[in-house]
Amino acid sequence: MSHLLKNKNLKELAKIYDWVSMCTHCGNCKYGYEYGPTANFAAMLCVQGDKFNFDSYRGSRGKVSLARSLLHNRIGWSDKVAHVLFTCTSCGACQQMCETDIKPWILRMFETLRYEAWKQNVAIPENIKAWSSTIGTLYNPYKEPHEKRLDWLPSDVRASLPKKAEYIYFAGCTASYRRKQLARATVSLLQKLKVDFTVVEDEWCCASPLLRTGQYDLAAKFVEHNKALPEKYGASAFITTCSGCYRTLGRDYMMDAPEGYADKYGKMTGVKVLHTTHLLEEMLNKGEIEFTGSFNKKVTYHDPCHLGRHAEVYETPRNVLKAVPGLQLVEMYRNRKFSFCCGAGGGVRGGFADYSLETAGKRVKEAEATGAELVTSACPFCYTNLADAIELNKSPLKMEDIVEIIEPIVRRK
Amino acid sequence: MARGNNEILANLEQIVGPEYVSNEEADLQPYTWDMTWAEPRMPDYVVMPKTVTEIQRVLRLANHRKIPVIPYCNGTNIGGLCVPEEGGIIMDLKKMDRILKIDPETCYAVIEPGVSHAAFSAALKATNPQWKGEEFSKGFEFGWGVHPPSASVLAMAINHGIGHLNGRIGINSQLMSSMEVVLPTGEVAKIGSCAYSDSWHSFLPLPRMDGLFTGWLGTTGIVTKLGVWIFPIRPYRDVLTIAAASAEDITKYMVRWRHYSLCDEVTAVSWWLAQIPIVFPYSPKPADAPEFFSYTVISGWSEEELAYKRKMWKEVVEKERAKGTKLIDFEYPPEAKKGRTELPSRIVGSTKNYSKSCGGGIAWPGTFAPCKSWPILYEKWKEIYIRHGLSPATRFTDYQGAHYGMLRCMTPFNKRDPASVQAARDAMVECVRAGLPEGMLPYKPPVEYQNELNAVADAGYLYLMTKIKDMLDPNNIMNPGKLGIR
Repeated sequence: MSHLLKNKNLKELAKIYDWVSMCTHCGNCKYGYEYGPTANFAAMLCVQGDKFNFDSYRGSRGKVSLARSLLHNRIGWSDKVAHVLFTCTSCGACQQMCETDIKPWILRMFETLRYEAWKQNVAIPENIKAWSSTIGTLYNPYKEPHEKRLDWLPSDVRASLPKKAEYIYFAGCTASYRRKQLARATVSLLQKLKVDFTVVEDEWCCASPLLRTGQYDLAAKFVEHNKALPEKYGASAFITTCSGCYRTLGRDYMMDAPEGYADKYGKMTGVKVLHTTHLLEEMLNKGEIEFTGSFNKKVTYHDPCHLGRHAEVYETPRNVLKAVPGLQLVEMYRNRKFSFCCGAGGGVRGGFADYSLETAGKRVKEAEATGAELVTSACPFCYTNLADAIELNKSPLKMEDIVEIIEPIVRRK
Repeated sequence: MARGNNEILANLEQIVGPEYVSNEEADLQPYTWDMTWAEPRMPDYVVMPKTVTEIQRVLRLANHRKIPVIPYCNGTNIGGLCVPEEGGIIMDLKKMDRILKIDPETCYAVIEPGVSHAAFSAALKATNPQWKGEEFSKGFEFGWGVHPPSASVLAMAINHGIGHLNGRIGINSQLMSSMEVVLPTGEVAKIGSCAYSDSWHSFLPLPRMDGLFTGWLGTTGIVTKLGVWIFPIRPYRDVLTIAAASAEDITKYMVRWRHYSLCDEVTAVSWWLAQIPIVFPYSPKPADAPEFFSYTVISGWSEEELAYKRKMWKEVVEKERAKGTKLIDFEYPPEAKKGRTELPSRIVGSTKNYSKSCGGGIAWPGTFAPCKSWPILYEKWKEIYIRHGLSPATRFTDYQGAHYGMLRCMTPFNKRDPASVQAARDAMVECVRAGLPEGMLPYKPPVEYQNELNAVADAGYLYLMTKIKDMLDPNNIMNPGKLGIR
């Protein structure tokens, strides 16, 4: 009987076999759809399926089926299996569409499959292997020296920051090494808003790239290290501009499986995790922010998957943007829970840059169709991929993070 | 790990391009099984053609090399129809996903096999019924069934799938109006009005050759374009509900109500099917609970029309009660009502009912049966199901008034437990065996049901079927093993 669990060597995967086998194979996950009173939403949401076509790549059904096939010993590990697993951006669109009880476990299952893949002799993307070989000593996936992590922070600002504060601004690796202007803009914004915060020199990668690519063992010391930071700096909250860091600190560090990894690494407790847009929305609602200028542009907002589908934060960034004088917010057809990924997540930008940028190019085209002059988002990683696609495609669009829009035109009331 | 052979692979790559063909097990594995108990079978290749010409070339190659070809759109049928019994080429038609035409005056659309219900419903809703530029109302609809939105409209129609208009207009295969098909030997044929002009409005008054490709489970050719009738969305809708103490009583009510042809749909579900999730394994229903719950969807162009239909429905209920039929008032939960009026729906089309408690497997015996056999077979099936530890989660639905309808028993099973799989399979086959003498015919039949059908079929019918199959598919390459005749 081929319905049986036969391959017990895949221990992590076998642990979630019950969930894997609860997939009914219905295919709800393969296409985005929702009934509407006047118009129905219908669009392809699966980045991977859109590119690689076959059912193996499309939605979660193909990958659940892959897990079952491996557990049942019906197929063996191969480079193709690795390609199916590592070309998924973990955007969560299939999870959004799923109506069965497997739903909360879908992303965990992808990561578990990747965990198992690392133990096999299969073609893990070379660039993922490359950054993984150094992240344990450099504490970032960009292969940059840890000592340069705070190079983005002007020395005078650094000197002015308190040693201990209510908030730790967790810049994350992308803003620290690749989008330094976002980190600087965030610090400037927090200063203007008179937020009690500090920046810490011993911030390590939040472990998002490690968890998303199934590197559970390597991730452990990162989680342990970062969890200890609030106590060390007398802080009660992390605040971050990075959606990946937000998802990891706020969910993986704090929640039980399948939403988080507290089952593996223990729970971070007594600490709040905020995205910058949360703080902005709260202060706007309290009337603590005054706009000193306007932003007279038509803008479209790209939902980062880690903030949107992974954490269900859809309206907060939009509420912030709607409060900006002069800013006209227009939506892309695929938005909120039905957004289309920028193509960078799940290790894909590092592993398959061309496919990642091709995906971002599709999203840029969709943004162009709104008539917007500018795309904004709330994640340095999405920023990077979309900005690169804008440049590559010679798009007339501009890219700015929400923080960059807000920072020049606000002050604390 | 790769399957098949490199020469065939190279030929297929030449036809559809290397991006759209694979013989890697990792790519083939999702095509090995479906929701049912069907034993997994591995294909040797998967190809994704984008044009009719590519399909022709693949079929010519397959014929020359005598390789099975299994047409596939989304793999959501509940019958193992796309499981490749003898390996071969899965022809995944998802890339052919164009809605080629929506004619808002003649009220038909032309679609390719990869068009999903989601895409089709969105496009129809955005098109308004009109004549010479004058718009009459807002949006069109088709028969939206109980399935995921990714399911193929074309595949469902040619396999006699049902939709939410089946009470008013008929099942979805009755809404087909023209088709284009590639024969197993590679020729292309148009059938219906499209054979003579670019108008895809009707099969009539021509010989009904569409029947050679409808209900044949993909064993006679590949339908590459389908004309279907579409219907203006009526702006007023309501759901009326009534329960009954027995299958006999609910059937009496349904038969009387559907004689008036006033509803879009009338359906009844047994207590076990009304539970979310379906009770698994079997446990008795509470003694005071009705045996059956029924809903009927009415629609109209004005509140007055709806009021008239409500009035007529109340009269039917009162007349039946006066005769002694035990009908029990009950209110439909708002979520369920929404699910019946907002179609196609993610919720109705989902399989959430069959996941957690039941272990992910789902199949059914049924579906087409004369209404007078519903209560008889329900009692027989109930005994069979309870004996196998399964709940008689049964559904009756009328198809286009007074003749016949759906008799189906939704059957969850635990895919992880061989005994559970076997119990479900045994119970369902036994139900089919019990149903055939009462006029019940299984649709989208798994191989096991087909064997039961063939065992009692008229010999001349099987002879003719075999002749037609041999004529169209001399090398038996199209989805072999499904009909049980070759």
